[in-house]
Amino acid sequence: MTTGGADGARGSKVLGIEEAIGLLPAHSESLWVGGMHMHNVPMALVRECIRQEKRFGTFYAGPSSSLAAELLMGARLVERVVVGYIGFEQLGLAPVFRRLVEKGTDIQIIEADPGSMLLGLQAGMAGQPFAPLPPGLERTSLPSTSPGFYQGVSDPFTGALGLAVAAIKPSVALVHCQQADEYGNGIFKGSMFSDHLLALAADRVFMQVEGLISNDQILKYPLQTGVPAMRVSAVVPVLFGCHPCSSHRYYNYDDVHLRLYMAAASSDAGFADYVKKFVTGPEDQEEYMRRVQNQDWSSIQ
Amino acid sequence: MSDDYKAKLRAGSDPLVFFKSDDELERSGIARGHIMAAAVSHALRDGETLFIGANPLIPLAGARLAQLTHAPNLTMIAGASGGVNPLLDPLAPSSGDYANLVAEAVLPFHEVLMMFMGGHGDVFFAGGLQIDRRGNCNLATVGKHDMPVLRGPGSAGIPWASRARRTILYTTAHNKRVFVPSVDFVSLAGWPTESEVGIVSRGPELVITPLAVLDFTADGVMRLVSVHSGVSPQEVADNTSFELAMPTGEVPTTAQPTDLEMRHMRTFDLDGLLSIIVPV
Repeated sequence: MTTGGADGARGSKVLGIEEAIGLLPAHSESLWVGGMHMHNVPMALVRECIRQEKRFGTFYAGPSSSLAAELLMGARLVERVVVGYIGFEQLGLAPVFRRLVEKGTDIQIIEADPGSMLLGLQAGMAGQPFAPLPPGLERTSLPSTSPGFYQGVSDPFTGALGLAVAAIKPSVALVHCQQADEYGNGIFKGSMFSDHLLALAADRVFMQVEGLISNDQILKYPLQTGVPAMRVSAVVPVLFGCHPCSSHRYYNYDDVHLRLYMAAASSDAGFADYVKKFVTGPEDQEEYMRRVQNQDWSSIQ
Repeated sequence: MSDDYKAKLRAGSDPLVFFKSDDELERSGIARGHIMAAAVSHALRDGETLFIGANPLIPLAGARLAQLTHAPNLTMIAGASGGVNPLLDPLAPSSGDYANLVAEAVLPFHEVLMMFMGGHGDVFFAGGLQIDRRGNCNLATVGKHDMPVLRGPGSAGIPWASRARRTILYTTAHNKRVFVPSVDFVSLAGWPTESEVGIVSRGPELVITPLAVLDFTADGVMRLVSVHSGVSPQEVADNTSFELAMPTGEVPTTAQPTDLEMRHMRTFDLDGLLSIIVPV
């Protein structure tokens, strides 16, 4: 629900990072972070969740998660992870995810796939209890590996047997738009990935933006609005907030930083050093960017 | 982390740094990446619609090459970015790159994937940490699923490959760890198992690797089609941990890209990525 300002005027939803993430309870049922691979990931909001030690029951790592999944799993802030894809595409495999799973972890891993997760998300938006899946998946190892995620269902019209997934309704979504007005009308300046659907389906949407534009500007080009304000709980302006991931049309992903992260995070100590230097250490985004620009990785094993 | 490793990285933010080649000479000639892209192009037919997912360099380049040569009515969708018919202006290493939006349309990713799940695609490109003799692919876990020796990224979009008419597999690593007799986890289902005969009639069509082009026999066993220039059939066998079916007669050499094809590839591969991702 959208609430107004104290004076009866339309209320601004613009908040600082700390304040916005501070609105979250200590433990939320589930989290889905927007963007895809190393693109449009609201990393400043993710880092703040870690600073404030916000915990989440289920983390949906889809359609493709990279550093967000790594940091949240490495900080042990998620209890179970639904895996569509966690990795760094051509840069390589996800080191924390690898180490946790290969050594054994108490984080529950639910092997899934992005297509089924997105159909579940769409069902969540539309209030459908579950989403029947197209045929084909039954020949893979997925249904037998994750019987709780994939359930058998029969088509009431033809009697044909198939699979279905439960509706997914994330209690918290973090998304990145390049621009928004103060009410939360967000614009994607490049790909919207699955974030439009995510914003429509989630209970609470926290939107990170590179910068604010006026509502007049939004009204001039309504077809550009990828996320309507009514779905948005908070708008958080953070310049370079996706770093080291990309923000389409603003900046590309920082290949050097990501490669150094992947090398550092291949050990527990290196990961802890990284978190200290780049996540919990910097008191704000400006300090984070200073540390990034310094390129000084000497404190990291 | 070693200083040596740090020294290899150039200061500043450059997503291409991973691909920077030490040897400029490598870029002047025909690399295996070019041969693979040309093989992709030759396998495509005019009018087809293709879905290309993560690690897209080889199929993107091959599809664009096909458009520029024999298949002007081909449609390609650059997975994550949602770019439909990207001009590869220029060819970029990540499927989600903004460069892929120099295109005819940009769809949300969930619509791209759901459309293919709906059977609206002709060709699906996929690969795996493991690929077996029946064309099954594994992107999830090597070893036991609950305590794997290698945790992969997860199955991504490839479980839905069978929704397209044809599946083409590709990999930038042809070795015994990738080409295994039987995958440990089926992310993409290959040719039918004994119990599926009669229900399922087909599997992936083609496999394009840095060493060779392979297809499948009528009963679904991976078969060598051709070896790339400079590769012997023995080298392929030595790097495959199961017995490949062999073509009748001498094993042919994969077609080298023509001068025209090389010129086309250089118009969009401005950073020489094809010769860096699979050199030689």
